[in-house]
Amino acid sequence: MHEEDERYFERIESRLDEAFDRAERARERGGDPRPEVEIPVAKDMADRVENILGIPGVAERVRELEEEMSREEAALALAEDFAEGRVGEYETKGGKIEGAVRTAVALLTEGVVAAPIEGIDRVELLENDDGTECVRVFYAGPIRSAGGTAQALSVLVADYARTLLDVSEYQARDDEIERYAEEVGLYDKTTGLQYSPKDKETKFIARNCPVLLDGESTGDAEVSGFRDLERVGTNNPRGGMCLVLAEGIALKAPKIQRYTRELDEVDWPWLQDLIDGTIGESDDSDEDGGESTEEGDVASDPESDEPAGPPRVEPATKFLRDLIAGRPVFSHPSRPGGFRLRYGRARNHGFATGGIHPATMHIVDDFLATGTQIKTERPGKAHGIIPVDTIEGPTVRLANGEVRRIDDPAEALDVQNGVEKIIDAGEYLVNFGEFVENNHPLAPASYSFEWWIQEFEESAANVQALADSPHVDLESPTVEEALDWAVEYDAPLHPNYTYLWHDLSTSEFEALADAIDGAEVTAGELELTRTQVVREALETLLVEHRQTAETLSVPEWRALVATMGFSEELIREWDSLSEEAHAWDDGTNAMKAVEEVAPFTVRERAPTRIGNRMGRPEKSEKRELSPAVHTLFPIGEAGGSQRNVAKAARHAPDMRDTPGEVEVSIGRRECADCGTRTFRGDCPDCGGNTFPHYECPDCGTELEPDEAGRVECPRCEVEGTSVDRQVIDLDGIYHDALSAINEREGSFEMLKGVKGLTSSHKTPEPMEKGVLRAKHGVSAFKDGTIRYDMTDLPVSSVRPEELDISVDEFRRLGYHEDIAGEPLEHDDQLVELKVQDIVLSDGAAEHLLKTADFVDDLLERYYGLDPFYEVSEREELVGELVFGMAPHTSAAVVGRVVGFTSAAVGYAHPYFHASKRRNCDGDEDCVMLLMDGLLNFSKEYLPDKRGGQMDAPLVMSSRIDPAEIDDEAHNMDVVERYPLEFYEATLELADPGEVDIRLAEESVGTDDQYRGFSHTHDTSNIALGPDLSAYKTLGSMMDKMDAQLELARKLRAVDETDVAERVIEYHFLPDLIGNLRAFSSQETRCLSCGKKYRRMPLSGDCRECGGTVNLTVHEGSVSKYMDTATRVAEEYGCREYTKQRLAILDRSLESVFENDKNKQSGIADFM
Amino acid sequence: MAEETDRRIVAELAARGYNADREAITLIAGTPDPEDAIERAVETVSADALKVTGEQLRGLFEDERRDASPRRDANDSPSRASNPPVSPAKTDDEATNSAETVPVEAEVDTSAMGDGRVPVESGRQLVEILGDITGQSTGTGEYSDFVTVFRDRYERLAGKLRRRVNHRPADAIQSMPGGGNAEMIGMVNDIRSTASGHWLIELEDTTGVFPCLVMKDREIADLVNELVYDEVIAVRGTLADDAGILFTDEIFFPDVPHTHKPNTADRHVQAALISDVHVGSQEFAADAWSRFADWLHTEEAQSVEYLLLAGDMVEGVGVYPNQDEELSIIDIYEQYEAFAEYLKEVPGDLEIVMIPGNHDAVRLAEPQPAFDEELREIMSAHDARITGNPSTVTIEGVSVLMYHGMSLDEIIADLPEEKASYDDPQKAMYHLLKKRHVAPKYGGKMRIAPEERDYLVIDEVPDVFHTGHVHKLGFGTYHNVTAINSGCWQEQTAFQKSVNIDPDVGYAPIVDLDTLDVTARKFT
Repeated sequence: MHEEDERYFERIESRLDEAFDRAERARERGGDPRPEVEIPVAKDMADRVENILGIPGVAERVRELEEEMSREEAALALAEDFAEGRVGEYETKGGKIEGAVRTAVALLTEGVVAAPIEGIDRVELLENDDGTECVRVFYAGPIRSAGGTAQALSVLVADYARTLLDVSEYQARDDEIERYAEEVGLYDKTTGLQYSPKDKETKFIARNCPVLLDGESTGDAEVSGFRDLERVGTNNPRGGMCLVLAEGIALKAPKIQRYTRELDEVDWPWLQDLIDGTIGESDDSDEDGGESTEEGDVASDPESDEPAGPPRVEPATKFLRDLIAGRPVFSHPSRPGGFRLRYGRARNHGFATGGIHPATMHIVDDFLATGTQIKTERPGKAHGIIPVDTIEGPTVRLANGEVRRIDDPAEALDVQNGVEKIIDAGEYLVNFGEFVENNHPLAPASYSFEWWIQEFEESAANVQALADSPHVDLESPTVEEALDWAVEYDAPLHPNYTYLWHDLSTSEFEALADAIDGAEVTAGELELTRTQVVREALETLLVEHRQTAETLSVPEWRALVATMGFSEELIREWDSLSEEAHAWDDGTNAMKAVEEVAPFTVRERAPTRIGNRMGRPEKSEKRELSPAVHTLFPIGEAGGSQRNVAKAARHAPDMRDTPGEVEVSIGRRECADCGTRTFRGDCPDCGGNTFPHYECPDCGTELEPDEAGRVECPRCEVEGTSVDRQVIDLDGIYHDALSAINEREGSFEMLKGVKGLTSSHKTPEPMEKGVLRAKHGVSAFKDGTIRYDMTDLPVSSVRPEELDISVDEFRRLGYHEDIAGEPLEHDDQLVELKVQDIVLSDGAAEHLLKTADFVDDLLERYYGLDPFYEVSEREELVGELVFGMAPHTSAAVVGRVVGFTSAAVGYAHPYFHASKRRNCDGDEDCVMLLMDGLLNFSKEYLPDKRGGQMDAPLVMSSRIDPAEIDDEAHNMDVVERYPLEFYEATLELADPGEVDIRLAEESVGTDDQYRGFSHTHDTSNIALGPDLSAYKTLGSMMDKMDAQLELARKLRAVDETDVAERVIEYHFLPDLIGNLRAFSSQETRCLSCGKKYRRMPLSGDCRECGGTVNLTVHEGSVSKYMDTATRVAEEYGCREYTKQRLAILDRSLESVFENDKNKQSGIADFM
Repeated sequence: MAEETDRRIVAELAARGYNADREAITLIAGTPDPEDAIERAVETVSADALKVTGEQLRGLFEDERRDASPRRDANDSPSRASNPPVSPAKTDDEATNSAETVPVEAEVDTSAMGDGRVPVESGRQLVEILGDITGQSTGTGEYSDFVTVFRDRYERLAGKLRRRVNHRPADAIQSMPGGGNAEMIGMVNDIRSTASGHWLIELEDTTGVFPCLVMKDREIADLVNELVYDEVIAVRGTLADDAGILFTDEIFFPDVPHTHKPNTADRHVQAALISDVHVGSQEFAADAWSRFADWLHTEEAQSVEYLLLAGDMVEGVGVYPNQDEELSIIDIYEQYEAFAEYLKEVPGDLEIVMIPGNHDAVRLAEPQPAFDEELREIMSAHDARITGNPSTVTIEGVSVLMYHGMSLDEIIADLPEEKASYDDPQKAMYHLLKKRHVAPKYGGKMRIAPEERDYLVIDEVPDVFHTGHVHKLGFGTYHNVTAINSGCWQEQTAFQKSVNIDPDVGYAPIVDLDTLDVTARKFT
């Protein structure tokens, strides 16, 4: 490791140590559930694995094994350790296998995700029909976060441990096998699987798998065929099992086979059949068909049919599925006018992002902003949008008929309202690594400067001399220069003067040629007689022009006419086009015509268009529970629906009641020093630490947890509990808390508690913390931390200026050189970002400032210690540490704040996101202020239910090891320029593996693993374009949808009828149908006490409190979209089928909600 | 004897190349000299007409009839005379329709000359409909509408149980001393099993709820398996010492009395009970349908005078996502037009009754009103009776409860396999009869539109209970009620295949209305 990197990590760790010491001292004081900080620091993966699992000794063993073998092999070796009792303290065979499986999953997911604890419920032994025993693994939904390979290997490890412990194989019954098939199909339909195995495959796996895959029911759907089986506990689909079977075993068979082959004990010969794909192919009649060809594949065998066309990738429509109202389509699949694929990686790019010009963001009515997610046609499924202003912007036709390209966001804003048609959406930057990651064949590249210059360099031209010349701009030469170079050096025409000939038909080409034939040059502009075909031809080519009623004026015409085989005097130098030119691509593509008549080589300007639509908007918002909570203290119903603690403290339902006495379920704790019973974390008598106190719920015997943490009454054989229904004096607690921290009621608006606690011990938070949160305007998440969510975006190099930070401050952070190796002296120098540095959105900075004030107040007034932050301006947050933490994971990553951005996203090094197991395709996750997490997080607050441990910082990584992050980030390319061979390979639709471009993975494990992330494209700022997507600034859903359809009309590449059709089909109709169904099978609810009833009580009123009961689904919510949907269907010419569906629904609504006998009828009503 | 005359008239007309409607035959038969009347009738109607209608003949024979003494014999049923089922206005409709049905009628003609079906005499067929929601839907989706409908259910079903137990309201039981006996009629509010495996049933009446414990080792514990939410039952048992719970000894259902004696027709006449035609689906079994229609024209089917259709005439639009990909006819109106064409294949003298199903273009929430005017126009062939789902239809004195059967899915899902399954759909129907409600369970997949009364209660015991929906054929009797689930006319769909349902395609159960015997005929 470079010394500078070492210094960087030491700096972070020393600040972390400082915070940790302060937090430890605070927690010792005793008000918290545990007297120590509950987020242990993990130096490496082994530490994380041990911490997440809570099995001592695992980390050491993992480190030993990692030295010698791969991670997968280590997982198997650990299975031996568990089986032989060297690791873990399990007595039963089931327990040993469970430990081995959990550890394997933890190891294979680098100890970050929650799958090993949440995704595996338990492992049991079950009796086979022949009396032998087999292994039964219960999977749960969160196993999803482990990914297919780890899921599949967990089965293998279970099987391996099984053989070591001499347990038999699972013998599936026939009905169980059939059940698997139905269940996996049902799960696929209701929830969706990445890979949908054929029924035969599922049955084949079920029959052969030596381990019984079982699980908890997820979802309400029920199987209808194979129900109530003796050994299957539910008729619902078992989501975890379905994932393991389909996305694990079925999809990852080749990977598992690698390991089964190496193990003597484990033999899964049947995997070969699965890999060969021969299962279920012999008998086609049993298949539901239609899935054989995955759409979006490359056109097969371009040479097969004559006459030929150019190389193209097949359009894919999948991204258009589930289109919803208010989220526009920007381009239908592969359509002219849509985004043009350009290759390259901008500095804020890569790792599932797409770069577009900020002018485009404005031109599409501000629907796209930095961080907006789009669903894309290729190469992956979704991208986060980033602004790049070194690519081309959109081309539009204004109301006055002028067609122009807009490369300036300010200009885009100026003309925004005058745009009649968006003829072209501009370029779409995708980096090579994206194609590698998605294993997608390369699509033909746009002809761009980076390609052209390399071809020019290959020619006889002295490019270096030209580059050095102050009079020549190679990137945007004059038309004379461009034509000169093309003719003289036999290089292809410069891309700036290359038009989109491939979109023009040969007949249009000829029509345009005829128009030029008789045209004149007036005042330096080519003046053509205005006809529709000529006007459209110019638009198709993206030739900028102006129009009058009779004429079309082209200011920049020389390259156009030269390419079309005219002399500068507009003399046509050819007679007619060949047969071949006419036949090329069925006459829809004039490239061959150009080839025949142009005096130089012309490349296809934009052969690949990428369809896409908006996914979800960018996010930068504080995370709050709903309703927001200041303190995790239970107050029952006493605080009203707002859970107002002050109100609850005065609550007295009856005159005789003492105000503030509220009955709640709350944990019973005992002081370790004096034995006093309390629910508090600190003893009210002596101030000592308290711990949960267990009793047997049946006989009341006091119980102690055993070594494994289990509490069982030896007499009654039932589990002990530390939870009581107690009457607590809320009034006293509330006012004691206020006086303890010397705070008045007036210093905050309202203190909100919770109705009840969901954690297993029901340990409440000290009320004082809530008071201070309320005072500082922050609220707590379920685990006691304060969080702020942001959409993840990558950035590998930054300018201090764009982060609102001075260069001096940047140097203090340890940045000394820019990317060229020059000393860092100016605000606008580009420097390479360090791996754990993050950029906060403005909103995040503001929120963290409030949090810092809260933390300081908490330290001073509650813990009696010195403040830690003492910040008043956001600049002072620079250099402070935060936790980054993603949903579905259980490990936080320490990051350092280095600046701020107006974009509503969290920019950070791609490795930082990858260490949280996120990519940047619109994912969002949160940051927490370091000290807040250390002081306020407790496992004892976590809900005692499936998934409760997810999204909680059970462990933290203080230092990112590039070898231990999500390897998707390793597929990012890190070069300054893609070679010429790459561009040529795209025309062959080559496999990305055939091209040699340096990826980040090449430096992993070397001294340079934290540096050298070069990019091909710069952008002047990482926050260009609108700060927020119009989706967020527009008011109602109707406004959004109207804007969406209006935009669809403007975009040339979008079919507005299809958009309307899809919005109705995927949004309005499901909403109408769903709500109508919900209406006629709805629950009801008491307006006074909130009690819910499955069915309307026969008494009419609430059985609990006598209050008024009302519906939960009303007519208004059922029919809200009816009129709009009908209007849209009419206005946008939807199919009769769609209109009829709406008409039938409309009549259903009428039938349900209108009284036949009061109905207005008669002709007069309809006239 | 009258029948014989009618048949001869039909045959004579047929021999001259004419078909005739009911009124025309009645008019001719009413003349003193039918043979002469036939000759004159034929002269009256134009040569290119294919059908002799009452309208054409009315003027011709009116006077004669008025003057002539009544033709009726002593053994003519008086009820038939006093119940003219077809109004003149309807007859007009028929006359108009006949023009559209030319090819079909012509076919009947030819077969009538051979050993085929002879058109049924007009005036024989008697249809009466009860319990139809159509045009009576007054609910506006208010909370109070829901309360009203459940209260109505409770009151009406409780009425059937009052003879069995001495009901104490829930709030009265709560204040009773412990240890005594108690009886209660209640709507099932909740069913759960206790930690020790016993069953706790929460019964509700208009005063509140009361928990009833059924011990797992009691014989009646088996009945708990067949309970569903929101049905009304009665219990008898002993109160616990603290009067907090009722130890249940007996459970009573509203049920059909064992002594129930079904009505039968007083002549040999048959009805075909079908459903789930699904015209418009790519899987519609057109060939089977046509074989069925052809068979109805044969002499063998001479006695089949009624055709009951229990819903899903067409495949519909938008019933499930991406349904358009599986439709052969995308347009809903064209689906009904095509269905009407298929319906025209059956003999014109069949009396047809139809109710909608979940694929039809009416509201899904039950009770479902019948097809609206627009669809009735399309399906006007044969002047079918179009009524709501459910409806009780009385034909020849035999009452048939027609219900599409959406609740069968829930019953089959909730009850143990041996009590209700797709293979024996009639068993699921027995439970509905036992509960005296066609769709007791609220919530879940069942959708209810609240009305001023519960149209889904089985108030009167029907003689025949006819459902469809599950595409499985099954019939049997329960307490002398004949339960019939028709099969379907749609081959196995991709969805059915995926959930392991093998439909019974192309079956028509034929009921002898004089004996209530059922014969299932297969047309595939």
